[in-house]
Amino acid sequence: MCGIVGLHLKNAELYPRLGELLVPMLDCMASRGPDSAGVALHDGHAMHVVKDVGPPVEICVRNGIAERGGFQGIGHTRMATESAVTTQHSHPFAPTPDMAVVHNGSFSNHATVRRRLARHGIGCTTDNDTEVASRFIGHQVAGGADLADALRMVLKELDGFFTLLVTTGTQFAVLRDSFACKPAVIAETDDYVAVASEYHALAGLPGIGDARVFEPVPEEVYAWTR
Amino acid sequence: MAAAPLPMDARRPSHTFGPQTIAAIQRMAEEGHYEIRGWGAKRVLPTFDDLVFLTASVSRYPLEGYRERCETRTVLGARRASRPLELDIPITIAGMSFGALSAPAKIALGRAATAVGTSTTTGDGGMSEEERAASHLLVYQCLPSRYGFNPADLKRADAIEIVIGQGAKPGGGGMLLGQKVSDRVAAMRTLPAGIDQRSASRHPDWVGPDDLRIKIEELREATGWEKPVYVKLGATRVGNDVKLAVAAGADVVVVDGMQGGTGASQDVFLEHAGIPTLAAVRLAAEALRELGVEDEVQLVVSGGIRTGADVAKALALGATAVSLGVAPLIALGCNGRTWVRDGVAHDATADYRALGTEPGYCHHMHTGRCPVGIATQDRDLEARLDPEAGARRVANYLRSVTMELTTMARACGKSDVHNLEPEDLVALTVEAAAMAQVPLAGTTWIPGRS
Ligand code: SF4
Repeated sequence: MCGIVGLHLKNAELYPRLGELLVPMLDCMASRGPDSAGVALHDGHAMHVVKDVGPPVEICVRNGIAERGGFQGIGHTRMATESAVTTQHSHPFAPTPDMAVVHNGSFSNHATVRRRLARHGIGCTTDNDTEVASRFIGHQVAGGADLADALRMVLKELDGFFTLLVTTGTQFAVLRDSFACKPAVIAETDDYVAVASEYHALAGLPGIGDARVFEPVPEEVYAWTR
Repeated sequence: MAAAPLPMDARRPSHTFGPQTIAAIQRMAEEGHYEIRGWGAKRVLPTFDDLVFLTASVSRYPLEGYRERCETRTVLGARRASRPLELDIPITIAGMSFGALSAPAKIALGRAATAVGTSTTTGDGGMSEEERAASHLLVYQCLPSRYGFNPADLKRADAIEIVIGQGAKPGGGGMLLGQKVSDRVAAMRTLPAGIDQRSASRHPDWVGPDDLRIKIEELREATGWEKPVYVKLGATRVGNDVKLAVAAGADVVVVDGMQGGTGASQDVFLEHAGIPTLAAVRLAAEALRELGVEDEVQLVVSGGIRTGADVAKALALGATAVSLGVAPLIALGCNGRTWVRDGVAHDATADYRALGTEPGYCHHMHTGRCPVGIATQDRDLEARLDPEAGARRVANYLRSVTMELTTMARACGKSDVHNLEPEDLVALTVEAAAMAQVPLAGTTWIPGRS
């Protein structure tokens, strides 16, 4: 019901090409999420989140995403399930200035987790389930948890079906729930780690023929640190 | 040719003075006292039946019944107790006294609870040897009467439940009519045999939350801060009472709605005091949320819970577990037409008729003449209940209810029954929508909120 993509560049020579590589990946996911799209890019100084309603390519062109560089980025195309189609409800969700989350799937106890977060003074601005998950992860990390541990806490506290992709100033992480029903594929080379909901989003990447391509197994946190 | 119509006023019942009311007034005129009976409220009340689940479809996904696990494990009392109760299912057996129930009935309930990995509870009459032996996890009640309450049994208990009230008769005390006060029952309660017993409606050594705090501390000290302390309330001013129980230090709050059963009570209590379980659970959950302790203090809800659907709805509205009383008795054979010995079924209809009732309608626990050996102290009658067979039936029932519960939770996309939430429910009636504070089906309208 949504498409997710992500790119963690290991080879600094690729940094200027981050946007150029990410936009076609996102475009490939257009049919999985025709309602809205967005990206979060880390350029080494700050995180930039761009999201809007409409087809991904239009949004990327309008915002010059292909021309942007950086060492890491994630993107999302959305087919809304239970909350409205607005820019605010679009992914990525950024619970902190440095962290962004995209999600494919649907959580089944987000109302409870939302109330729990509110008790800790963490409010959500939308009724979107992914926002709850992103704020949960942000809250865990703010409390001192390592990103991988924060994601393991997601397995404990959040119920439902999900593939999550998280970017921070230093880390890039993927997690699938115990059912692993929502698709995900990872390709890793010496130059990059790429993640997408479907294989064909990865097909245009340089050197993909020699990449180690695999599907993340359930309940396993995959994390890369810059 | 159409039959001649009846005259207009023939057999036109009065709603205010209907046949039942007329009979009740005439009986009072005859006998000079109010009606005492067992069971619980018989009137029509808003119930969990007025709620339905929004199970998964396209926007959410259900779990598979066979392959995908749905957790039912339940922990009660971890707030302050060093040894909280760890249950395999969120369904427990409520307090029912030895005295109100026969020894074989108490044994059967204990064995069934043990077989399914849950707890059972003593009652207003103390802890019997058989019951302790049969129950792996036994909650020991501390009631206003203090019948059979002693430090030795306190130490043998797995948890302590301070009973402030019960849903069947909030504000009233226990009752055991003389015909059930056998020599053994009398000895356990240090009271004369054969005399009607009316238990106190207030605790002798404390009233109010400030002194309850001291009582809870005293019980904790007496048991080395090991055992969870529950506080059980009859559902009336639920919001205030739950908050006060928490402030007094309860690890677990048990809220018993007005459909809760009893061995004997004044009919006026059963039908006219307290609020329905449906409203009580929501108020209690809200109180815990307002205090910010909903992950710390567990809510156990009881009163008219029968099926896995009821359990699922109670959990969705905020209970951690439920407690069942009347339903396990029915599973044991209460209101059944027959009782079985050595594989031979004996018809009990005549015995029900002798009590002025029929199988399916009996509420005659108070008489001690239970036709199936459950609510009696009569040697011949209690011999009608085989504890082993009874335990099997109750365990079967509890397992079936658990399966219904996990079926519903899986269909709502939950891998743990405790992840059910109010947002999974809608109401079929305006009353239920208002009481449970969930939207009326097909709308976003929650009475009183929007
Ligand atoms: S059958 Fe026995 S246990 Fe059931 S209502 Fe009648 S007296 Fe009570």
